[in-house]
Amino acid sequence: MPLLDQSLVDSVIKRALRSGADFVELFVERKRNQSISVEESKVQRVNSGNDLGAGLRIIHKGTVSYVYTEDLSEDGLFKTADLAAEVGRRGGGRFALGELSGTLRPPQRIEVPPDGVGPEAKIELLLEADQAARAVSGDIKQVAVGYGQSAQEVLVATSEGTRHADSRTRIRLMVHAVAERNGEIQTAMEAPGMQRGFEFFDDTSAADYARAAAERAVALLDAAPSPAGTMAVIIGNEFGGALFHEACGHGLEADFVGKGSTVFAGRIGQAVASPIVTAIDDGTLASRWGTLTVDDEGVPTRRNVLIQDGVLVSYMYDRLRAGQQSHPVTGNGRRQSYQHLPIPRMTNTFIAAGAHSVDDIVAATPRGLYAKKLGAGQVDVTTGDFVFAVTEGYLIEGGRIGQPVRGATIVGNGPRALHKIDMVANDLKLAPGTCGKEGQGVPVSVGQPTIRISQLTVGGTGVVPAGAMRP
Amino acid sequence: MNAIGERLLVRCKQQGAEDAELYLSRGTEFTVRVYKGEIESLVSAESRGIGLRTFRDHRVGFAYTSDFEAQALEQLVDEALLNGRYNHADEANVLPETLSFEPLDGLMSPALARLDPQRKIDFALEMERRAVSLDPRVRRVSDAIYSDGSGQVEIFNSRGLQASFDRTVAYGVLETIAEQDAEMQSGFAFTHGRDMDQLDLAGVVKEGVENAAGLLGARPVPTASVPVVLHPHAAAMILGVLASSFSADAVIKRRSVLAGKVGEQVAADIVTITDDARLPEGLASRPFDGEGVPAGRNQLIAAGVLNGYLHNTYTARRMRSRSTGSAVRSYKSVPEVGVSNLVLTPGELSRDALLARVDNGLHVSQLSGLNTVNPVSGEFSLGLTGHWIERGRLTKPVKELTVAGNVIALLKKVVAVASDLRFIFAGGFCGSPTILIEELPVGGL
Repeated sequence: MPLLDQSLVDSVIKRALRSGADFVELFVERKRNQSISVEESKVQRVNSGNDLGAGLRIIHKGTVSYVYTEDLSEDGLFKTADLAAEVGRRGGGRFALGELSGTLRPPQRIEVPPDGVGPEAKIELLLEADQAARAVSGDIKQVAVGYGQSAQEVLVATSEGTRHADSRTRIRLMVHAVAERNGEIQTAMEAPGMQRGFEFFDDTSAADYARAAAERAVALLDAAPSPAGTMAVIIGNEFGGALFHEACGHGLEADFVGKGSTVFAGRIGQAVASPIVTAIDDGTLASRWGTLTVDDEGVPTRRNVLIQDGVLVSYMYDRLRAGQQSHPVTGNGRRQSYQHLPIPRMTNTFIAAGAHSVDDIVAATPRGLYAKKLGAGQVDVTTGDFVFAVTEGYLIEGGRIGQPVRGATIVGNGPRALHKIDMVANDLKLAPGTCGKEGQGVPVSVGQPTIRISQLTVGGTGVVPAGAMRP
Repeated sequence: MNAIGERLLVRCKQQGAEDAELYLSRGTEFTVRVYKGEIESLVSAESRGIGLRTFRDHRVGFAYTSDFEAQALEQLVDEALLNGRYNHADEANVLPETLSFEPLDGLMSPALARLDPQRKIDFALEMERRAVSLDPRVRRVSDAIYSDGSGQVEIFNSRGLQASFDRTVAYGVLETIAEQDAEMQSGFAFTHGRDMDQLDLAGVVKEGVENAAGLLGARPVPTASVPVVLHPHAAAMILGVLASSFSADAVIKRRSVLAGKVGEQVAADIVTITDDARLPEGLASRPFDGEGVPAGRNQLIAAGVLNGYLHNTYTARRMRSRSTGSAVRSYKSVPEVGVSNLVLTPGELSRDALLARVDNGLHVSQLSGLNTVNPVSGEFSLGLTGHWIERGRLTKPVKELTVAGNVIALLKKVVAVASDLRFIFAGGFCGSPTILIEELPVGGL
């Protein structure tokens, strides 16, 4: 069933155009969500929801106006078109919009649509995972397991006559384990996800992930407080890529660049990273969390090299910024939902694999911190200053992985840290995440191989004077 | 009762629900973003949604939709009931007792709906214009936004509850960029009220400019153990981190650092923390909570001692307590437990008088990495930005400092509380005055 009748789409666009707009775009979205949670080894929640709505963007000269509605009847949409035309009249500047170009790829293949699988099978997986986590150790005192699926269909229709549709089916598993011993509490989580149907679980074992989370929570009970100070830091692959995403990736988004509010503005062709660093944003990767056939403006996604051998090559654009900055589109115009304007966003962003093995890197590090897994982080886009929690960390002593440490954070500046990457391993992996910007959350992948940053500030409870490592 | 509500409750009964509850929300939004004297974007919209909870054999079902077509609404009922079949039965799953609530004045400004959009646009333009003319080092604004909205919440249930209230809110948001010798710093500030007239234009501009310019030239300093002063915003962010630990749900699921500590000293005796849903200036104020239970004031920590937790109907039943009117939700979710306006009670001391107590210390204006705090253990390791304090005065800006510790240990070290209460959004609407914390090890160079 089409999201909206073709003739209604045409007439809504025509109506909004009566205001004399330079451009009109209708974005229609339907999203089915289901989430299931198991806590205290019982099914706590089976929830589902249905989001349906449309957003109408009209551009007059340099001014963008946006009106959204949940009322998709002809009356409702005409009212929305009239309101958009009304608010859209105020504005000046110059009209410029990147040309909608690119090669369309076939949509993601979903073998077993998750909506067609009953809750029983999903609950069984979760209960199994719950038991697997609890079986790891008597120290595991609480386990929360969750399953989430969403099926989003979008239609992007423009006054240029283009009509693009995309459908995105995502599946995610979440495991949160709490270990407790002698009043001390530690937690760990795992949250794998892909754009796939229920066949995701053919090769993904929920129980394995649950065990991994539980084992890490228990291991943290024995970890020593992390030392603090400045030291070499090895950052693990997979979610370690969140550091690049937050502290550098956002600074390469064309809206920040256009306003000069990032240190990367005006630096195309310049060395912005160590020459062993190549960074890529690729919206075309099969089944990845941030993959799109077309972005939320109907632009086919592509593989965009951002940094090649340390040299800044490209920013990431939506149509508006591509037009304003006279650059071809890159397929990075995204929005959380029909209630939001598209803005430049990342898709699957990662540092490319290098030549070293992880063992090489550890062996070449006399002392430092191995931040094998990162947790939450925060960054100031303007300066690139960041803070990240290390959820699995080890001391490196004499070129060997030493005792586990907890409570470590790494603090630094993204652009400066890029120059200090002095080793890149060959173990590139991606991890799913939700990226927030201007109040809009969108699914992305972050990723990297294991890398070493020669010098970084580490914060931890075991504060020690500069340069001195605890034994 | 509204026609949709009535129809759905009848259908729920017909399909076998013993009880049912509808949560309807409607809202409007107007947002204008300006850049270099021009409108960059305008958003104007009305939106709505409905969430349905069904109760059958002590099993709760839930589903939501933004599609109000007749067929979609029928499907909503079937889906909620179907979902409920898979959930475990728990005697604590009940609708609340229907209690009457006191209306709460001042939550909405009827004038907002009549305000000419041009005046809103002018507000944003004026904010930008003034921000670039106050300090020679601040010549650019990356974001100047005016936004307002109105919202209506209606709850109906099969126990005869029919409750609704309206709320309006207006904001001005400013982000400036200060530059000096190839260094950039950004400065964020916001002002809020029920209507545009309540926004502090001069104040938000001054703060946005000072926040950026004041940090130019910030450098790390050597590691030291010094007294630490937290700006009201930084202190309020710590409250925001603690907010989830007041939830009885977090206590039940062992995710609260305050679990098992009722009656214990969890903060210094000059610390009193209240969750106040009826605070006139509180943006999270509401006459009743997400289940229709009257919302009030809950003193959570009195003179440093933990009094109790926040409850919704479910957690109150499980812990043999009473709902504190703390169910928070949107139409897309079931009622969880959460704070409304969480306030650290201000003291008598002026901010200057508090600073005067510090001979050599650190004033923290920004904390980073608060989302890395472990809510279960309370352990944290944060990044700090601010100014050094010398003889009671803020001097050189400092950054890339770290402090590690435990939230409870930190609250026990509060030695002075000023009178300058300020609010921010941080896991709720959180307010705190400036506070002084006795010596902390601050990691730096």
